[in-house]
Amino acid sequence: MECGFCERRCRLGPEGYGYCRMYRAGETGVEERFPDRWCATAVSRVETVPFYHAWPGARCLIIGTAGCNFECRYCSNAEVVKVDPAGLTDIMLELSPKALVDKARKHGCHAIVFSVNEPTVSLPSLEQVAREARAVGMPMGCLTNGYATVEATERLAKVFSFVNVSLKGLSPEFCQEFLGVPDAGPILRNIAALARKVHVEVTTPVIEGTNDHELDAMAAFLADIRRDIPWHVFRLLPEYKMQREDYPSIEAISARIEDCGRRLDYVYFHNFIGSRWVNTHCPSCGTVVIERHSLGCGGDKLDTFHCHGDLCPSCGARIALCGSHMAWNIKEATA
Amino acid sequence: MSLAILDARQWQQVVDLQSGRPTESDAPATEMVKGLLDRHPFPGDRDRGSNAWVTDTALDLIDRYAPGFAFLSYSQQYYSCRYSPLSPEERREHVAGAFAEAARFAAASGMTTVLVGTGELVPAKTPIDLENLDGLAVTSNWCAHYAGLYDLSARDYDALRHHPSLSRIVSKQDILDLFGGGPADGARLPEYMAVAATGGYFKGTSLRRLLMIPEPSTVIPVSANLGPVASLTDIRAQILSRLAAGERMALALVEGVGCAEFGVPATSCANGLDWFRYEPGDAQFLAISTGQHPIFQHNGGYRYYLDDDEHKPYPFSGYFTELPPDTIGEAYSGRSIAVGNRSMFMHVCTGCDVTCECFARNLYNQGLMAVIHRQDKME
Ligand code: SF4
Repeated sequence: MECGFCERRCRLGPEGYGYCRMYRAGETGVEERFPDRWCATAVSRVETVPFYHAWPGARCLIIGTAGCNFECRYCSNAEVVKVDPAGLTDIMLELSPKALVDKARKHGCHAIVFSVNEPTVSLPSLEQVAREARAVGMPMGCLTNGYATVEATERLAKVFSFVNVSLKGLSPEFCQEFLGVPDAGPILRNIAALARKVHVEVTTPVIEGTNDHELDAMAAFLADIRRDIPWHVFRLLPEYKMQREDYPSIEAISARIEDCGRRLDYVYFHNFIGSRWVNTHCPSCGTVVIERHSLGCGGDKLDTFHCHGDLCPSCGARIALCGSHMAWNIKEATA
Repeated sequence: MSLAILDARQWQQVVDLQSGRPTESDAPATEMVKGLLDRHPFPGDRDRGSNAWVTDTALDLIDRYAPGFAFLSYSQQYYSCRYSPLSPEERREHVAGAFAEAARFAAASGMTTVLVGTGELVPAKTPIDLENLDGLAVTSNWCAHYAGLYDLSARDYDALRHHPSLSRIVSKQDILDLFGGGPADGARLPEYMAVAATGGYFKGTSLRRLLMIPEPSTVIPVSANLGPVASLTDIRAQILSRLAAGERMALALVEGVGCAEFGVPATSCANGLDWFRYEPGDAQFLAISTGQHPIFQHNGGYRYYLDDDEHKPYPFSGYFTELPPDTIGEAYSGRSIAVGNRSMFMHVCTGCDVTCECFARNLYNQGLMAVIHRQDKME
């Protein structure tokens, strides 16, 4: 039986499971090995994921599962996603879709956001959660590597109304050496498909000397889809198999992305403390319309939202936003 | 105005600590601290060089600032033992490494260095899942034994009372009574607090597997050179009186080490009251630094996220919305420094004139932060 969730299209034998170790061949088709098992149910800011243009200021329940369909050499969550998920079940949380949505409501969260690992490897569980979340009007968002199949991407677009796709590199050599997949074709295809249906932001973890020379081509690709796709250039921390590498130079990368700002309306550079490149400027008049703090891996946070609705307070131009500015402290639900 | 200098390696930013906004400062103190951070990049929480970083940075700062008091934390062995699979021999090596660094500091600085162990670590045996309550359980990555409970139903209450891995459920009133608080002191206390039995820990917010957790210890060790103290809240007064007598003093916390493994001659002091024992963490740092129990403000299980809104002051200070008063650095009128590898604890918990700490979160190494609280003492 072939798994059709991601472009690896693993063959699942009767005893086996696929590359991500999250699906197996069941009697009625591909089934999850660990449905309704979650990790990292933490209350956090939507900006930490990061989403800078979706529900600014929203308090979210951040969730994740285990496993991944990529083999990134710099994975920052390797202790979660690179081990056999079967060995994690004792510390994973078992929560029904309804219990998860209730938990989000009880913590006063506006949204549920899937982060930590890859949603494609837990898609059926997420579809169940989305059904419950829709019933109470709670939007869902996710961070994804975008390597889903066309069909799974359609399903992701039904679950998530805001998606941040990680565009890690373009060249096949980079994809093979650093991500463990043949090429970026499916990711580029899926970014375009998702951008037609849901709010899309894109994140590029940058490794100096490895993929920084591709930044301009990435910006051009995104601008061809829509120039108002927010783009997060992430300073990569040397983690996992790249632990001994140098930290990327902030000066050098900030110089490179300056050019990209001519192609795209919203270009950010962060994942380090005190970044100066985290505020949103009006693409028409340059006024700072949303101010943030960059706390690095501790997450970013909204400081001041200056827009009037989704309009620049200075010139009235529209700022690309999905959802409205949210007050942090809506009341926690008690029932 | 307190300044923070953020250092993400070869890139620095000066901000106003309270607002978090970029600011300019060409004061000699700022240049001195910038240079300090630049010379001592942080190797990482679990890196074997992390405790040496504390010693090297503190000695460099002493050379330039000549303080009478230094507050240090050595935490590499604590992080490593919590999250790295170490053999008993490796664990002993990590702990011995921390004491070797503290000894190196004492010898090179010439300060009378008082060491405090923050308590034993034991294997993490039983994960406790409080997710399926009708009410709300608030847990945290860094607090294994205490969870805040809110809006419990009768069914929840019954289940928790009979839970085999909990040692007790205490009410807000129980906590107020134990620590002598009035009704106004309970704003940040949970309605109930669940206390895990030894070996049990609450499943927190991270999937990173916990291998060891704080015991937590009834007593903690204090090096014998301070003389006897009855409680961790008595350490401050002893240090201050020795400083007042003109002695140059350092207080160094050796994290995750209890009486059994303490590497120098020691006495022991109470690490809490009755059933409540401090885990290594901000509350314990504050109890030592302020000489008071801070449980009404900083306790396991309070809903920190309620304060985390837009315009929250001190955005680089974790969930603190103000810097705690009456810390030991504030009480000492001479020059003081703090250096530590336990995240933002040094600038929020010590009150020293210049503090230098790692800016690591959940073991991700983002670099360094230094805070200059007192520029006036440098003039
Ligand atoms: S989702 Fe998992 S099992 Fe399915 S094809 Fe991808 S890696 Fe293989």
